[in-house]
Amino acid sequence: MTLTANRAPAEPAAEVRAAKRSNPLRFVILAALLALLLIVIAPLLIIAINAVKSPADYAGGGPLSLPTHLYWDGIVDFWNRVSFGQKLWNSFVTSFVVAVLGVVLSVLNAYALGIGKVKGRLWFLVFFLVANLLPQEVLVYPLYFLSKEVHLYDSLISIVIIFTVIQAAFGTYLLTSVYQEFPTELLDAADVDGAGKVRTLWSVVVPVSRPTLGVLFTFFFIWTWNEFFLPLVFLVSNDNQTVPVALGVLQGDRLMDATMTSASGLIGILPALIFFLVFQRTLTRGITAGAIK
Amino acid sequence: MIRSRAGLSAGALLLAASLALAACGGSGDSSSEEGADAKTLTLWHYEGPTSAMGIAWNKAIEEFKSSHPGVEVKFEEKGFEQIQQNAQMILNSDSAPDIMEYNKGNATAGLLSKQGLLTDLTEESSKRGWDKALNSSLQTTTKYDDDGIMGSGKTFGVPNYAEYVEVYYNKDLFKKYNLQVPTTLDEFTKVMDTFVQNKVTPLAVGGAEYPAQQILYTLALSKADRAWVDDYQLYKNKVDFKGPQLTYGAQTFKEWVDKGYIAKNSAGIKAEDMGVSFSQGKFPIMISGSWWYGRFVNEIKNFEWGTFLFPGNKLHPGSSGNLWVVPEKSKAKALAYDFIDITMKPEIQALLGNNGGVPVAADVASITDPKNKELIENFNKVSGEDGLAFYPDWPAPGYYDVLVAGVQGLINGSKTPDAVLSEIQKPYDENLADLGK
Repeated sequence: MTLTANRAPAEPAAEVRAAKRSNPLRFVILAALLALLLIVIAPLLIIAINAVKSPADYAGGGPLSLPTHLYWDGIVDFWNRVSFGQKLWNSFVTSFVVAVLGVVLSVLNAYALGIGKVKGRLWFLVFFLVANLLPQEVLVYPLYFLSKEVHLYDSLISIVIIFTVIQAAFGTYLLTSVYQEFPTELLDAADVDGAGKVRTLWSVVVPVSRPTLGVLFTFFFIWTWNEFFLPLVFLVSNDNQTVPVALGVLQGDRLMDATMTSASGLIGILPALIFFLVFQRTLTRGITAGAIK
Repeated sequence: MIRSRAGLSAGALLLAASLALAACGGSGDSSSEEGADAKTLTLWHYEGPTSAMGIAWNKAIEEFKSSHPGVEVKFEEKGFEQIQQNAQMILNSDSAPDIMEYNKGNATAGLLSKQGLLTDLTEESSKRGWDKALNSSLQTTTKYDDDGIMGSGKTFGVPNYAEYVEVYYNKDLFKKYNLQVPTTLDEFTKVMDTFVQNKVTPLAVGGAEYPAQQILYTLALSKADRAWVDDYQLYKNKVDFKGPQLTYGAQTFKEWVDKGYIAKNSAGIKAEDMGVSFSQGKFPIMISGSWWYGRFVNEIKNFEWGTFLFPGNKLHPGSSGNLWVVPEKSKAKALAYDFIDITMKPEIQALLGNNGGVPVAADVASITDPKNKELIENFNKVSGEDGLAFYPDWPAPGYYDVLVAGVQGLINGSKTPDAVLSEIQKPYDENLADLGK
């Protein structure tokens, strides 16, 4: 008690001194952060402004002027023109399936490589790393022919297969390094308790590394959602297209429709943004989380 | 984004090259009965629904439906980018449409025709009279020889519309300074001088994209004749880049920059921003293509504007528009021919003209809108003189970027006209050597 009584008066003084000392610096940091924030959201703001501007308004006032009245036709027209609801569904289904399959495949691979210590695992990892570094443009032509041979060209299934493999290559690489550090005490304990390899995987390894898997899932989903090049090549029919490909419809030969492009941009990023906000807690938990509790 | 998309164009190139090997063997023969009993017609194009082409083609689809009961038309609006990137792959697969819009030129329609992916339309076109509706400079872009070079050989496409470069001017600003529409290059220069004296930069220019090079080419054309255009575009004879035409073009362009007709900062301006700055009334004059026309008609509300042909020129940058092509794998070729025939009908052509497009075969009398009449009369004047001189970046693959860089050097003063001409001659000559000419 005496200790706290003694300390109590000293504390505010120290705080004031500390605040005084750091005040200008704090202010500068705050200002810098605000400026950065503005830079980051400025493009989004400009898109939002132009999305609700009529074309004539845009032609008269330019991209930076505020709209004279709210004009929703750009968004509505675009939605109907590309039947956006269906594109959303296509994107959601492919991204979700890829994210789930990609995580499962990564876990199985990483379990074998990181915990199972398969022979030559270093070379496997090098292989996955190299595969991950390959630009997609190199893969396009072989993939085109393969998919044509098995009649999956112009089908969402081809996109799901391709991206599951691509994402799992990254996931395997990452998860393997996580599993190499996996506490052997837990594995030994499972072994003593008589758990087989499969049981150990599902009852010990997966639950412990669940935060990492959550992060992978989120990344896989967003990456697949944003993919443009391969879906552009593989999804020929309008009925099969995903959101980023649908946004490309507005890009003309010589002209662009700036207001409708903004409108499409706005509704194009919203789903990914919402998904990110929902899962951002998983992300902040950190990619290498998971240890003995 | 973690994954990089750089090298996208490199990948596309690689693809194009490998497909060229794979796609040989499609035979070019066609019969007008082929696919006449098909029950669906899959049709792709990439024009917006409110553009002149979009409106006219929608009407054409309706007409097709009523003249072909029982045939389902599956229309899909595509992105320009998607067709541009993937045409070879799509046309080589079972997902190929029965008819589609495609870009004219050696690198696009020419390449596909060389790979045997397009149907030869020569016979159909003379039987149905499409060739008579198109004058010779419009036909240039529809014909490709065995090497896929335009200008001669078989007909692989049919254009419905044309485009050309003209001068847009702000009537209100002309009135303010008491200026008349110039009829000679000298008068045009005087008009621009007046603006400069009044501290107004006369020309809206997009130096980062196609507009600036088209101005330089227009200036070169003022000293050129059809033979020179054939040499430059169709490789008939070797072009002297230090000859009077291009030298005049580059030097005059430089002069225009020095005199303040063209703002120094326009080297970094994109075409879209150029158009918006004109529609905002910031610049009194813009030299660019007829593709802006329909948009300006709808969107410029704050001032009166008009157009005139580049004064004194007989030749103007311009060409046919994109082509209707029939893929070799089309399952309804006869229906595709019927559809093309409908798009060439007077009423569809008039619809195109009345919505701000430039129809290839329209009767001016059927164009009711006075604004669009001006556009089409100007085009008919150019077309009557056989004055379409194509675009400066056509002769060699990747030439567009070379020209952009060269003209940017002229605008910001980092290169002399002579240096720029040497710079743009090199890739041109290299391409000639590749073609074995």
